[in-house]
Amino acid sequence: MRYKGNILEVNDLCLSLSNADGAPVKILNNLKFNVRSGEILGLIGDSGSGKTMTALAVSGLLSDFAHVDSGEIIFEGEDLVKKTPKERRLLLGEKIGVIFQDPSSALDPLQTVESNLSEIISIRDGDKSKGHERILNMLKTVGFDDPKQIAKRYPHRLSGGQRQRVLIAGAALMNPSLLIADEPTSSLDTVTSMSIMQLLHEMCQEMGISILFISHNLNTVRNFCDRVMVMKEGTIIDADTSWDIMGQPKSAFTAELLMKSKLDPHALGITRGEARENAASVLTAKSICAGYKYAGFTNDKMNHVVNNVDFDILEGECVGLIGSSGCGKTTLVKSILGLIKPSSGIIEMNGRIAAVFQDPVSSLNPAHTVRWHLAEALRASGRKMTREEQKPYFLKILEDVGLEGKHLNRFPHQMSGGQRQKAAIAMCLVQEPAVIIADEPFSALDASSQASVIKLLSDINANRGTTMLIVSHNLLVIKAMCSKVLVMDKGRIVESGNTDEVLENPKAEATHALLKAGKYAV
Amino acid sequence: MRSSANSKRYLYIGSALLAIVAVFFIIGLIWTPYGINSTDSASKFIAPCAEHLFGTDNLGRDVFSRCLAAARYTLLVSFAGVAVALVIGTITGLLAGYYGGIIDKVIMVLSNSIMCFPGILLALVAVAIFGPSLYNVIWALGLVFAPTFARVYRSSTIELLGRDYILSAKVMKVNPVRIMFVHILPNLMPQILPAVIIGLANMTLFESGMSYLGLGVQPPAASYGKMLADAQSYMVTAPWLIFFPTLMLVCYILGLYFVSEWVRTSVNGGSK
Repeated sequence: MRYKGNILEVNDLCLSLSNADGAPVKILNNLKFNVRSGEILGLIGDSGSGKTMTALAVSGLLSDFAHVDSGEIIFEGEDLVKKTPKERRLLLGEKIGVIFQDPSSALDPLQTVESNLSEIISIRDGDKSKGHERILNMLKTVGFDDPKQIAKRYPHRLSGGQRQRVLIAGAALMNPSLLIADEPTSSLDTVTSMSIMQLLHEMCQEMGISILFISHNLNTVRNFCDRVMVMKEGTIIDADTSWDIMGQPKSAFTAELLMKSKLDPHALGITRGEARENAASVLTAKSICAGYKYAGFTNDKMNHVVNNVDFDILEGECVGLIGSSGCGKTTLVKSILGLIKPSSGIIEMNGRIAAVFQDPVSSLNPAHTVRWHLAEALRASGRKMTREEQKPYFLKILEDVGLEGKHLNRFPHQMSGGQRQKAAIAMCLVQEPAVIIADEPFSALDASSQASVIKLLSDINANRGTTMLIVSHNLLVIKAMCSKVLVMDKGRIVESGNTDEVLENPKAEATHALLKAGKYAV
Repeated sequence: MRSSANSKRYLYIGSALLAIVAVFFIIGLIWTPYGINSTDSASKFIAPCAEHLFGTDNLGRDVFSRCLAAARYTLLVSFAGVAVALVIGTITGLLAGYYGGIIDKVIMVLSNSIMCFPGILLALVAVAIFGPSLYNVIWALGLVFAPTFARVYRSSTIELLGRDYILSAKVMKVNPVRIMFVHILPNLMPQILPAVIIGLANMTLFESGMSYLGLGVQPPAASYGKMLADAQSYMVTAPWLIFFPTLMLVCYILGLYFVSEWVRTSVNGGSK
């Protein structure tokens, strides 16, 4: 029997973290919300707003450095704050399930999917003998067509989306009353994340599990959540049904977030990068084949990920490269950048090439300051400047990318994800490249940073005439920025042409699938 | 909270123990109460007293003076040996990790072959071939320890190679040597610092072992290992001959272990 009424009530919760000096920093400020039985409640906000801390406080997984100052967390009528750590551990999994963002680190790599899951059953029932059938059924429920095969596989043989499904299966096997999903789809592509969202929705309806769904993407929560709360600086500033919050946001912050996540080109002032008249081509690829070698028993075998890809990018153009995950986008980009050697084909380049990568955490070297990064880029470009000349030049570049002079001497860990991504773009600008290749540069950023980085790249394209190749699974980004689009599927370019033509009148099946997924969960 | 208080305690105890050795080292450099090899047949086997703080040995040499002087050689051998191991290990480890392929295979086969021999045996063979001298001991120990560092560097380098900032450096066509030493190396400090400290401790144990067997630091220089070797016949009648050199070794090695524990917990953010 499921608990009736509000399954979770958080009242005036204040939580602080100790910083390096031991001084407390307030993270959650009089937080107040409730989760009704059998609903999906969306929690959105920028990074650093306290969403994950809320999840950790409710699940009882807070680190030693965090402590609840006041308030109560009432779960099924009992105050969790007053419970001992041991009592809370017993609740975890059994009553409260958690799914985290990174599915790759949540499964034991040395055990098969079945052993990973039977571990869960043995914890719940103390006996794993009858688990086999239940595991296969559950794997089928979470959308695997061939559960027997999947059960035998090790985690490294599953894709990101498949791993996330296995984790959801694990959480569902415990049959919890409340499932906390902390950005479960942000590392997945559009098609996969839509299917995960649908799965969670079905679980909520069929099994009566209440879900607290955390995301920084308003569009994701729009279609799947019953109610949505907007969080800013540790407080809920807006809460309503998802329909109302999207239609009539009460606070200015929500309205801004909404505008940014819609990526309306007019509101953001983005123009599409078109090729100039009589523009020469800057990047040409002719029948590129690339892939990875893996060691066979007698000789190395080649696994081709990219097959016979041709394209031509003209000066000043902004070209989008889209495709579902695993279709070979990143391998193609790596072979263009010279990071892997194509097994055949020709890449012709007219000018320098620079790259912006996906992960803002590792985009900058943690051992060095922003100034060092810019100096290194300058050195790599072959230009020489004295230290005195460098400073005003670097300050100008930082200003161009929307950072301040104070960031020059900062280390990466002293900056936010969006700022780091901007610093990485500043490194590109220092090199004065003809082409910038950006591999999913926005997907790990929250809505506000995403909008500002998109605007920045679009401005660079418009003002400096730098040619861009944007790899993304976010169709809104491609629509807003790119004049031309390449659609990739199974290692081949299946469709290419003018963005509007391709997206409004898709011919390839892969484009159809991407558009369908994009409609729900961009 | 608790873990950080615990690790601070490690630091305090470790530093206190190392401070004792440091004081011996500094005093030993400038002054010893008696000559370290001056024998006095009239004062053999004197138990610790006001005149001879740590007593005297079978030849009437002052144990306190010898302990002061031995600190110099123990520290010299351990630091110089670790420096040699670190230089060789850094270069080979970075090369193996960065380039992979045949370079990696050759370096790893070599280092595995060194590691599968008992370290002390290998160092003894090297010293037996090239002759027992302070510098040969340092070289031999450095070579024996280099594979340990090479492995740490290699695996950490491989881990860092996939990071976007290294990819970005490669895209910028930064020279591979510069990528290894300027881009990668500073990020390996959290792994390498505890390895260096543990290396110092192990190096000291090895050096004492070799000196004990007569192939380490050679007389007239004093060494704790040699002092223990000389004292073993008088263990029962003059226990102070064993006690004080052992105490110094324990202070140094335990101090290093405690400090390395602190470094490990604080640099790696408390991860075990």
